Amino acid sequence: MSSSPLASAPEGRPGLPGAALGGLALAALLAVALPFFTTGYVVYIANLLLVFVVLCLGLHIVIGETGQFSMAHAAFYGIGIYASALANRAVDLPYPFAMLFGALVAGAVGLFIGALALRMRDIYLALATFAFGEAMQWVFANWDSVTNGPNGLRIAPARFGPLEILSDKQAYPFVLFFCLLAIGFTVVVSRSRLGRAFRAVRESEVAAMAMGIDVRRTRVIGFGLSAAVAGFAGGMFGLFQTFIHPDSLGFQTTILVLTMVVVGGLGSIWGAIGGAIVFGLISEVLRQAPQYQEIIYGAILMLFMMYAPHGLFAFVGERIREARHGR
Amino acid sequence: MDLQLALIFLQQGIASGLVSGSVYALLALAIVVIFKTSDVPNFAQGEVFMAAGYVALYLFVFQQMPIWVVLPATLVVAFLAMALFRRFVLDQVAKSAKDLVYLVIATLGLSYVLKGLVRRTGFGDTPRSFPALVPTDSIMIGQASVTLLDLAIFGTAVVVMAAFFWMFNYTKIGRAMRAVGMNPKAAQLVGVDLRRCHMLIWGLSGVISAIAALLISPKILMTADMGSIVMLAFAAAIVGGFSSLPGAVVGGFVIGIVENLVGLFISSRAIVLAPFLAILIVLVLRPQGLFGGKLTIKKV
Repeated sequence: MSSSPLASAPEGRPGLPGAALGGLALAALLAVALPFFTTGYVVYIANLLLVFVVLCLGLHIVIGETGQFSMAHAAFYGIGIYASALANRAVDLPYPFAMLFGALVAGAVGLFIGALALRMRDIYLALATFAFGEAMQWVFANWDSVTNGPNGLRIAPARFGPLEILSDKQAYPFVLFFCLLAIGFTVVVSRSRLGRAFRAVRESEVAAMAMGIDVRRTRVIGFGLSAAVAGFAGGMFGLFQTFIHPDSLGFQTTILVLTMVVVGGLGSIWGAIGGAIVFGLISEVLRQAPQYQEIIYGAILMLFMMYAPHGLFAFVGERIREARHGR
Repeated sequence: MDLQLALIFLQQGIASGLVSGSVYALLALAIVVIFKTSDVPNFAQGEVFMAAGYVALYLFVFQQMPIWVVLPATLVVAFLAMALFRRFVLDQVAKSAKDLVYLVIATLGLSYVLKGLVRRTGFGDTPRSFPALVPTDSIMIGQASVTLLDLAIFGTAVVVMAAFFWMFNYTKIGRAMRAVGMNPKAAQLVGVDLRRCHMLIWGLSGVISAIAALLISPKILMTADMGSIVMLAFAAAIVGGFSSLPGAVVGGFVIGIVENLVGLFISSRAIVLAPFLAILIVLVLRPQGLFGGKLTIKKV
C-alpha cells in the first residue's frame, strides 16, 4: 500500500469539488424534507446526529485546530445539558437563553481547564482531561441537590415564547437551525485571524511565537471555545430530550465523539461533520447487534488508524485520484 | 474518632494499601515501560489485564486444566497478544501516520475489542472470583488483619518487580530496551533490532499485566469492566513521573495506601474519585510527577 501521500496533514479547509457540492445540495434537501416523510423515530435519530455534529465541531476546535488532546468532551457536553436544563427550569425565558447559559458555563469551565492545561502537553494533557472527565461524571452522579444524582434529571420542555416543544418532529427545525448556526460559527472562527493562530500554534509553538502570536492565550481560548460549543450541543440535546442520566456522560461518549472526528479526518471541519453523520449512522445500525458493538467500534478505530489515519474522506479521495491516474 | 481507633485504621489502611498497591504498581510498571520506549500511553492495559484474567478463568474453571498449565499458558497468551498487536497493528499505524496521537487511538481501539470479545463469550455475565490458590486464613500483623493470600500477592509482586528491574538494568536485552527509549535511531545504528525489541517490550508488559490479574482476581469479583482498575495504575504512574520505573512502583503503593485510607477515614463513595483527584492535583502542581526530573520540553 502506498502510504506516503496520506502522510501529509489535511488542510484546514479543502476546496469542495463539484460533485461534493451536488451531494451537499442533496443532503440539504433531504435534511429539510426529513420530518415530512419519516417516522418520529427517524427524526429522533436525526436530532441526535445533529447534536453529535455539534459535539464533533467542539472536539475539532481543540484537537483539529489547536492540536491539544482533550478527553473530557462528554463532561463539557454534560455541563451544557445540566446547566441549560436547570436554567430553563429556573427562569421563564425562551429556551435559547438557557442554551446560551449552558454554553457559557461549559466555556468558563473549559477556560479554566485550558489554563491548567498550559502546563502540560500531549499525554499528560490527555490523562489530565481524562481524569477531569471522570471526576465530572462522578459529580453529575453524586451532587444530588443539583443534578438529582444517580436518578437522573428530568428536563422540562423547551419553550419559545408561547410555543412549547413536546415532540421530536417539533424540535427538529430548531435542532437543525442551531446545528447550522454552530457550523457557521466554527467556519467563521476557523477562517478568522484566531483560527489561523490556532493552526499556527498546532504546527509549531515556537514559530507561532516568532510571528507575534500569544501562544498561551490562543491555547486557552481554543479550549474555552471548544468547551462552549460542546456545552451548546448539550443545550441542543435539551430541545428534544426529556431526561438525562449521568451514565450517558462518561468516557464512552468521549470515545464515540473522538471516533467520529477520527473517522471523518482529524483537522478538517467537513471531516468532523461527515464523520459524525457516517459514524452516527453506523453506530445506529450497530445497535441492532449490541453484542458486537464494542468489537466493531474498536476494530473501526484500529483499522482507520492503520490504513486511513487522515479519515474516510481523505482515504476515498486518494483512491479516486489513484483510479483517475489509471492505476 | 478516638486515637486508639484511628491508629488501628491507619495500620489496617497501610497493610491493605500495600496489598492492593502492589497490583497497581505492577500495572503502572507495565504502562511505564511501554511509555518509556514507545512514547505511547497504552489505554488498553486495563483490558489486557482483564482479558488475561478471563483466559486463566476459562482454562482453570471451564476447561479444568491443572494450575501448572494454566499459569504459564495465561502468561504466554498475554505475551503473544501484546507482541502481535505491536507488530501488526502499531507498526502499520506508525507507517501510515507520523503523529503519536494515532498510536494512542489505536490502543483505545484494542481496549474496546478486548472488552467486546470477553463480553461476547458470556463468562463475564455472572461476576465470579478466580479460586484462591493460597489459603485465605487471616493473621495479625501489628493491629492489622491480613490473609495469607494478601502476603502471597505482595510477595509475588515484589519478586516480579525485582526480576524486571534486574532484567531492565543489568542484562544485554534490558540495555537494548533502554537504548531504544533514549534514541531509537542510534539504538538501531548499534545493532538493536527495533521491531523485535518493541515486540518484546509490549509482550513483557502484557505478561506483567497478566501476573497482576492472576494475583488480584481471587480477591475481586471479575467482570468485563474490571479493567477500569487501570485508572489507579495511571494515577500511580503519574505520581511517579510517568517515565520512571521505581517511581511507578512507589506511586502504586502510595495510591494503594491513599485509596484505603480515604475509604476508612472519609467515605467509600469518595474512593472512586480519589485517583482522578490525585491525577489532577499532581499534574497541575508538579507535571513531571513526584519522582520525575526537571521538566524538559522536547522540540523537534
